[in-house]
Amino acid sequence: MIRVIALNELRRRLRDRSVLIGCLAAPLLMAAVLGFSFAGGGAPVAVRVGVSGASQQLVAAAVQASQLPPGVSVVRMTSEQAVKTAVADGQLDSGVAVFPGRLQLSSLLIPIVDPGATHTPGYDVVTKGTSQVGHEYAESVAAGISSVLYAGKVAHGATIDSATVTIKTQNVGHGGKVNLNFFAPNIAVVFLFIGSGLGMRSLLMERAAGTLARITAAPLRPTQIVLGKLLAIFVTGLATIFVIWAVTTFVFGADWGNPLGVLLMCVGATVAMCGIGVFLTSLAKTEQQAFGITLLVGLFLTLLGGNLLPSGSLPDVFQVLALGTPNGWALVGFGRLDQLREPATSIIGPFFVLLAIALVTGGLAMTRVRRMVEP
Amino acid sequence: MRQAVGRGGASGTVCVSPAMLRCQGLRKRYGDRTAVDGVSFSIAERECYGLLGPNGAGKTTTISMLCGLTERDGGEITVDGFEGGSLEAKSAIGYVPQDLALYPDLSAVENLAFFGQLYGLTGKELHARISETLELVGLADRGKDRIGTYSGGMKRRANMAAGLLHRPKLLVLDEPTVGVDPQSRNAILETVGRLGIAVLYTTHYMEEAAKLCDRIGIIDDGHLIAEGTAGTLIGAHGGRDKVHLACDPAELDALASACRELDNIHDVREVDGNLELTTDHGPAVLPTVVGVAARHGIDLTGVEVRTPNLEDVFLSLTGKELRD
Repeated sequence: MIRVIALNELRRRLRDRSVLIGCLAAPLLMAAVLGFSFAGGGAPVAVRVGVSGASQQLVAAAVQASQLPPGVSVVRMTSEQAVKTAVADGQLDSGVAVFPGRLQLSSLLIPIVDPGATHTPGYDVVTKGTSQVGHEYAESVAAGISSVLYAGKVAHGATIDSATVTIKTQNVGHGGKVNLNFFAPNIAVVFLFIGSGLGMRSLLMERAAGTLARITAAPLRPTQIVLGKLLAIFVTGLATIFVIWAVTTFVFGADWGNPLGVLLMCVGATVAMCGIGVFLTSLAKTEQQAFGITLLVGLFLTLLGGNLLPSGSLPDVFQVLALGTPNGWALVGFGRLDQLREPATSIIGPFFVLLAIALVTGGLAMTRVRRMVEP
Repeated sequence: MRQAVGRGGASGTVCVSPAMLRCQGLRKRYGDRTAVDGVSFSIAERECYGLLGPNGAGKTTTISMLCGLTERDGGEITVDGFEGGSLEAKSAIGYVPQDLALYPDLSAVENLAFFGQLYGLTGKELHARISETLELVGLADRGKDRIGTYSGGMKRRANMAAGLLHRPKLLVLDEPTVGVDPQSRNAILETVGRLGIAVLYTTHYMEEAAKLCDRIGIIDDGHLIAEGTAGTLIGAHGGRDKVHLACDPAELDALASACRELDNIHDVREVDGNLELTTDHGPAVLPTVVGVAARHGIDLTGVEVRTPNLEDVFLSLTGKELRD
């Protein structure tokens, strides 16, 4: 019966074309916007970034993780003052002064999901204010350092080579695609939330149309009705994120990371968003209420989880609170895959957190299931 | 002994078949308002039972509880021997809601296929039932058209088809003819009349109830205030026949005096410039009245015999009219 209700839902959404718009046209448009925005191949820019307080090994790993484009050189400096002096003199376009004593787990988490972070307690980005590009690459290097440290690949207390080294990065990056890698799953998660949250309004629309009464009168359990709807929304949600994944990957060359890991994260994120969607719908009496609640909560979670505003630009407490949101955890998982280039096993934690969120929110909704299907 | 019950129970047919539906002391409250208060009735196999009452009387709430759409606050329901609201009870019911409950973007066949599957119908059996039911409601040639393209009457018939598809033992029709053109209304009533299954039919159209139903329950303000065949209800609560006579106003007093002399005339009074006679059987006394007028040289310009109906029953029982 769950399958019957789900198929009917999909048939009707195909018939009124809402599924084509929500699962194909809109994701395609968004993928195209992201692709053209971030994956364009501009001419290489010669930029020099200095780093102090980090070992050669750490700097090399950070540069690798940052995937800097050709033309960017990263130079290891002996001290914070040396970095500042070189930037002030114009020898460097920007710099990163790392303070190992200030590096903490909470601060390290942020750059993983937010390469644009401008303030973290673990390091300072040094700029003269005249080179925006230099500033951004310095932030990328800083994010790379944090990512590598968080991943435990290099201990920040490793032996520091006193000699200044220059690391050529011509062969390690693929330009703005590092941003595309970040933003594509980021925006896909927002799409998922909109799709699943608003998708469950179908139940309330059927109540208004009278068809819910006929369905409820049939020999079905209320949970079967709601789960049928959820199955349809899960399928459309998964289709949405798959379209964005496929288009950004095959058309614009993005790399979301390990395919199995991405697949699991897509499933986990979709399930979690379905749970949130059904929970929010269970709170509403009318379609209009559901719309309002979903938008309000969606905007809140999107901001808090770091989908729109880089969480690194928010106060520290909000950076930690981001991990209390399903989208925040989705971004952690995707970030491990597309930025840290970690294997599928690295997202097991975020994946199960998303499943837990789905179970809790879905379970809460099911306590009100009888009321949800009452005409 | 089991006796088949015919449609149109004004004749007072007695039903002795086993109960398909039994309700006892149904109660439902919405906040401070009591929508249904202690309603009890039963419907036998193949009996058509009409629940007659104005809008807001509690008809739809009663149906919602019977069909398991709304949880009841009190009372007991059994459908075909099963507890009301159980999956078995729901399987035995064909529910036709008051509002159109079909998907306008899907065809009639697609709609019926979906609702049929909810009742466990699949494959060839499902397709055979769809064809059969569309034939029954006169929509066989429009089955592949989208419901959104149907006229109002066709939508109503399709709505009923969805309730009949799984061959229910009890068909629950909630005001199926509201807003329907006369032709479609007749088609719906004819379809219901030849089903041969137990039917619960709610309406606020007394003519429909009288024509279609073996027994009628009159509900008002959440209470079932009377129950019986149309004939017994009218006989018990409808009052006497009225004969209205119109003539030259100058001759009205003379006509009234002459009529007062007649047997079987219980009351004579002037109403709106006409004469109203109260009698036990209007059609029987009419020739006598016309003869008396002729003998007194009074020309009757109008004659009307009005027999009591369910409207009068409702007025008598509640002191108010059976309003829309």
